[in-house]
Amino acid sequence: MVVLHFIVVGLLLIILQTTICMRTPVWLLAPDLYYVLVAYLAFRLDLLRSLIILFPLVCVLDVLSGTILGMHALLCFSAYFLLRQFSAKLPVNDIVYQIPLIGLSFLAVSWVVSLFLELLQPGQQVAWSWWRMLVRMVLVAMFSYPLFFLFDLIQKYSRHSFLPWNRLRLRSDNRRRRQA
Amino acid sequence: MRKKPTRKRSDRYRLFRIVILAGLLMTLALIFLVSTLGSQNFGSLHKLVLEAVGPLQKVVTMSGSYVETFKSEYIDILQDSLRLREENKRLIQQLQENENILNKSREAMATNASLRKLLEFKNTLDQQQVMAATIVGKDPSTMFRSVIIDRGSNSNVMKGNPVVNNDGVVGQVFAVTPNYAKVLLAIAPSSAIDVLLQKSRVRGILKGDGTLTYRLEYILKTAEVEEGDHVVTAGYGGIFPTGLQVGVVSKIIKKPRGMFHEIEVTPSVDYQKLENLLILQQPKLAEIKQMEQR
Repeated sequence: MVVLHFIVVGLLLIILQTTICMRTPVWLLAPDLYYVLVAYLAFRLDLLRSLIILFPLVCVLDVLSGTILGMHALLCFSAYFLLRQFSAKLPVNDIVYQIPLIGLSFLAVSWVVSLFLELLQPGQQVAWSWWRMLVRMVLVAMFSYPLFFLFDLIQKYSRHSFLPWNRLRLRSDNRRRRQA
Repeated sequence: MRKKPTRKRSDRYRLFRIVILAGLLMTLALIFLVSTLGSQNFGSLHKLVLEAVGPLQKVVTMSGSYVETFKSEYIDILQDSLRLREENKRLIQQLQENENILNKSREAMATNASLRKLLEFKNTLDQQQVMAATIVGKDPSTMFRSVIIDRGSNSNVMKGNPVVNNDGVVGQVFAVTPNYAKVLLAIAPSSAIDVLLQKSRVRGILKGDGTLTYRLEYILKTAEVEEGDHVVTAGYGGIFPTGLQVGVVSKIIKKPRGMFHEIEVTPSVDYQKLENLLILQQPKLAEIKQMEQR
């Protein structure tokens, strides 16, 4: 259920980002909400479930944004594994300390991906602009705290799922006998 | 023995006081009667009485008026304010409803004007199949410039179809699904459009740079270019029809080295207000695609 819930939330964030947040095609102040979800998955969820959530989301992102397919997959997975590495080594697992890391990782990964794309297909994307990306980084950092709070709530809510999975689980006959 | 004469004296005094008082009252009554019924003048007694009662009357009247004033200024105001509050609430609600209606009508008028312009523009395109579309999503990435429109292959939209609005060229269809299509905007760095300088008929390539300006490339230094020159589509290659408005030359950077001018072009399209678009269906393009498939 956690996987399903986060896929739905991720889709909503992407839709929000491509519609309401983008007032014009050149609007700068659109927060990269999907990146906060990537960071959350890296910090709070296990690898398998995170990857299952990320695959459909990067696919949607590639469809709705950009002209080079796979660009968002590269960006999101790079960011995910980078943040996962950092989270394993961080002594403190609190969001307040993780926010600067999320912002800086967004800037670093975006820069590396931009360089990579410039090498592969020169002149096909907008030239890198530090101040624009710094604004985006600040937006990502600003939205991190409330979104982490929301994701925590969703995760907590997902534990009390509608379907009683625990009751549906099959138990061996031996166990029943032992209980009797 | 001593108490008896004292009682007698006091009885005598009492009788004397009563007689005096009665006499005084009688005299006063007589004076009053004589003065009232006699000369009918407003005598000194009347004046005295009025002088004595007047202040009292004045005090009572003033108190009454004060009470009236207080009532009118405070209690009535309180009642009025309660009534006004109710009325205010009702009026605010009415105002909000009216504002909503006004906003809706304004929006409808703006959409109407925009669509009317689009229709007029459509009528200027000679016998060309045109499809109207609305932008449903915008690319949030800082590296690319594209939009999603609500028309796809079910509406005969094909990859490569030019996209315009009443101001001029907007971009080109980049990817198509049955009901939606992705449009690469002309301001995207990966966009390249064959154009002409309308005045001198010099040909160049218009490229985007991600901002709200175009770059006009491959214009030889020998060519005559001026700021304010109009740039239109060249029509080579059969994708864009000839003569569609693209923009106006806004800056010419003349460098000593190199063969070509560096020219900045201000788009004729306002990318901040993109909403409704027209997709031009090029019959030649369909033929080319069909030939490619064969």
